[in-house]
Amino acid sequence: MTSPTNFSRRSVLGLAGLGAGAVLLGGCGDDGSGDSGDGSGSASIDWWHISNVDPMLTTWANLAKDFQTANPGVEIKITPLENEAFKAKLTTVTQAGTPPDIFHSWGGGVLKQQVEAGLVKELDLGDAAANINQNGLDIYKVDGKQYGAPFDLGMVGFWYNKELFEKAKITAPPATWGEFLDAVGKLKTAGITPIALAGSESWTAHFYWAYLAIRVAGVDGLAAAAADGSFDQADFVTAGTRFKELIDLDPFQRGFLGAKYSATDGQAAIMGNGQAAIELMGQWAPTTEAAYSTTKKGIGEKLGFFPFPGVDGGKGTVEDAFGGGNGFALGKDAPPQAAEFIKFLLTADSQRKGAASDSILPVTKGAEDALKDANLKSVHAAITKAPKFQLYLDQAYPPAVGTQVNDSVAELVAKKATPEKVAQDIAKVAKNQ
Amino acid sequence: MSTRRDTKVRHFWLHVIAIVVGAFIVVPVAFGVLGGFKDNGQLSNNPFALPSPWVPENYTSILSSSGFWRPMFNSALIAVATVVLLVLVASMAAYVFARFNFRGRELLYTLFAAGLMFPFAVAILPLFVLLRELSLLNSPLGVILPQAAFGLPMTIIILRSFFRTIPGEVEEAAILDGCTPFGFFWRILLPMARPALATVSVLALVASWNNFMLPLVVFTDPSWWTLPVGVQQFQGQYADDTARVLAYVVLAMVPALAFYAVAERQLVGGLASGATKG
Amino acid sequence: MKTTTQGPEGQLPAPTSHRTATRGSARRGPAPEQPRPRVEGSLRRRRRLDKLTVALFLAPAMALFVLLVVGPIALAIYTSLFKWNGFGGLPEDFVGLDNFRRLLEDDIFIGDLKRGLILVLLSIFVQLPVALGLALLLNQPMRGRAFYRVVFFAPYVLSEVITAVLFTMVFSPNQGLANQMMSALGLENLQQEWLANTSTVLYALFFVISWKYFGLHMILYLAGRQSIPKELTEAALTDGAGTWQVFRHITLPLLGPTIRISIFLSIIGAIQLFDMVWVLTGGGPIHSSETMAVTMFQYGFRRSEVGYASAISVAMFLISLVFALLYQRFVMRRDIEGAITTMREKR
Repeated sequence: MTSPTNFSRRSVLGLAGLGAGAVLLGGCGDDGSGDSGDGSGSASIDWWHISNVDPMLTTWANLAKDFQTANPGVEIKITPLENEAFKAKLTTVTQAGTPPDIFHSWGGGVLKQQVEAGLVKELDLGDAAANINQNGLDIYKVDGKQYGAPFDLGMVGFWYNKELFEKAKITAPPATWGEFLDAVGKLKTAGITPIALAGSESWTAHFYWAYLAIRVAGVDGLAAAAADGSFDQADFVTAGTRFKELIDLDPFQRGFLGAKYSATDGQAAIMGNGQAAIELMGQWAPTTEAAYSTTKKGIGEKLGFFPFPGVDGGKGTVEDAFGGGNGFALGKDAPPQAAEFIKFLLTADSQRKGAASDSILPVTKGAEDALKDANLKSVHAAITKAPKFQLYLDQAYPPAVGTQVNDSVAELVAKKATPEKVAQDIAKVAKNQ
Repeated sequence: MSTRRDTKVRHFWLHVIAIVVGAFIVVPVAFGVLGGFKDNGQLSNNPFALPSPWVPENYTSILSSSGFWRPMFNSALIAVATVVLLVLVASMAAYVFARFNFRGRELLYTLFAAGLMFPFAVAILPLFVLLRELSLLNSPLGVILPQAAFGLPMTIIILRSFFRTIPGEVEEAAILDGCTPFGFFWRILLPMARPALATVSVLALVASWNNFMLPLVVFTDPSWWTLPVGVQQFQGQYADDTARVLAYVVLAMVPALAFYAVAERQLVGGLASGATKG
Repeated sequence: MKTTTQGPEGQLPAPTSHRTATRGSARRGPAPEQPRPRVEGSLRRRRRLDKLTVALFLAPAMALFVLLVVGPIALAIYTSLFKWNGFGGLPEDFVGLDNFRRLLEDDIFIGDLKRGLILVLLSIFVQLPVALGLALLLNQPMRGRAFYRVVFFAPYVLSEVITAVLFTMVFSPNQGLANQMMSALGLENLQQEWLANTSTVLYALFFVISWKYFGLHMILYLAGRQSIPKELTEAALTDGAGTWQVFRHITLPLLGPTIRISIFLSIIGAIQLFDMVWVLTGGGPIHSSETMAVTMFQYGFRRSEVGYASAISVAMFLISLVFALLYQRFVMRRDIEGAITTMREKR
């Protein structure tokens, strides 16, 4: 057989296909998110936020449009994501080293880790900084430099259904932990589900433990433990024991271990549909309850607020606030226009738009006059006069510790761990940092 | 006689069992198919009845959205590229393992065979770090190359044992005619090995099409998601809308099942022979 | 259980090729009984060409394999000795075997091992007999046999993700098929939060795994059964043995190798189980359906503890490797020897 040089048609087509494929594959690839503009005023901004429901979803979209009109050449691509989906996605892109230009941030230790990895750009707020709540700005500082800014600052507290409280003959919101447990008992006797809890999302349960920790150990005590990892002290075991007292009353809705927060059968929806009396949640609770309720209006006037009760003999006070802000941080490749956009979002006018729909507690001075809801007004007032403030634990601490707190508390709630074990597990991870 | 009746009775029971098992397999899928034609209210209220009214919107809205076709296209592109690359590279290696004798041959072959012990799950984390350093994240090559690499052990094993069955006389005749080794490989060996090539291609295609973990970590950009990632993200996003998720899942099954209908014998034969050989 | 395209380890020494004459010799080509000067020269050229061919043909496979398979494994071993959050560059914080010490005390990891063991035992004692029984069933001459075979094997081609999403809906508490069937049958009190209840979730997971993979095992047994010569069973039956006796004394022992392979695949599958668990439950609730791979993923990609996650990867790798070696040596050795003998005889 001599060597024929005629390739069969099939192999030629095959090679052509391979070649085309190679070109296709080579050409495609990482375009790089957040290409900086060419400096002549045009830029594309990738913006990830977590207000995936109205009214804030539309408010943000409108504000972006306003900015684009005022700054022709700037294009803002919005990606609204649900809370948990956002956390997962952001972790992935930060691991990959390609953060979006503007992304939602809760500040604290998580932001610190992102800054240390070189993924965040410093944010220069200029003169505007003076008008913004200092506590809020501090949460977004790393080593004294500003790496993000809050647009919303609030605290976590008990949102309750006034009608259901009346039905259970609870005359006044409880002020101490003991009274709280009594109230829960009364609700149960009246056949009402006391507490709505998204058991499958551990951050919701960690609110309870965190508040008990700062009530028992004080905000300073918690900060000290965070510094050296000594979460296994007696105070934190006590916090867990107090929480266990509540858990042992079986106060949560049926199937709570599988319940989510933002779902039509989740924690927010259950409150919004009037099926449970209490939820421990942040300042976004009213709007989220409404968004996921079947009537889309929530329980309206019947919704009340009372701060987390005090614990007798604890080192903290009832006025100490636990909560956090919602804010934005700049990705490392963000164009300069992105920083301008954030400043735009923090002007009093922009803030008023969010406050007017009771979706946010504004941080810029003067914008709070737009707040309509009485509950939110009192929350805003409480935050402003809170003597001490503690950021959410799963954001304040580096991801490893924060996740451990969430995980351990979830075990406590599922009755699979003791308060001692919870404290020890958290301490182990914290000391390992 | 009585034995014939016994056989009939036995056959009856065999059929009953087979039908029960078949139902076990088919019912969840049927649930999915029909559920996609309902809305959520119907799903809660009359779960077993046929949809009334039929709600085609779930299916049509998915079929008309790029959120379905883009992942489909990506999966197809990546699967084909993986198979082409894998089969080419593996057959070349299997060829020299089968027909040549050289120092270290068995050692190298054992190295590849040991690769069967390296599942994706073990390597995914350092692979991610490696791909990041090589700037292959968010690029289809970041999925194609590792998939081909991990498919090498199985493919080389199957192809080598097949190549060994090609009679030596054919090769000797070709050499005497002046054929280069590459010529023999490309023009004689590969065409003769078509059944084995078909088998390994089918296995590799299925593995690539169904791969989830690798595209999940490599593609942060949604426009490159493959179908499994797309399905999972869709479910995460529309978790409340059970009917819609069912529609998406059912539509995502169609390519795999269609391919199965065509290539069933290859798949089954390949797996069975692979097992009995091992 | 699960298998990727990676089938059983092919550690058979390959059957000798047809050209027994060249075995052991260091060159190819015509037998050098009467080397003529002309052939002698071309022989040396041939040998150089051979070496070049081998190198060229092997190069792409070696490159891919070493870079993308061996490399990551080595990197995993290296990284497991450090504490690292995974961002950029290489780890710097050397901690030696600390990660492994932590692993041995980690409740979640120990739990993963326990759960893996439960899944394996369930596979061996529940899934395997069912698959075997069905294979024997389908081996009988009956109408529609091929059709049943096609149907039973179909779930294997679906991805684990699709299967998991489908079954999330099936097990959904309110609208799911499972609970709806319970209420239709009047068994309301058996309704469960299948995937949210720590005591049922592992079994729900096993149910989904079986749904997907029992067809594979059935095909294996069918192939194995069909390789048993009919004469053997027929002879025994004519000799007066009952069907059960035939099964116990002839079929089952001869199916031994196939059964052992099936178990092997199940165990390897259990060690690497990820996709299905991740989509079905994420490992929850409270880690009660978590596997090693899921734990590794959580620590590596969510908690930014890459060093520790690498230690988990290395542990998974070692467990797979040790298991495979021991299994091959002690359980399958006779099977391999038997296969070799059969192969030798066949030629």
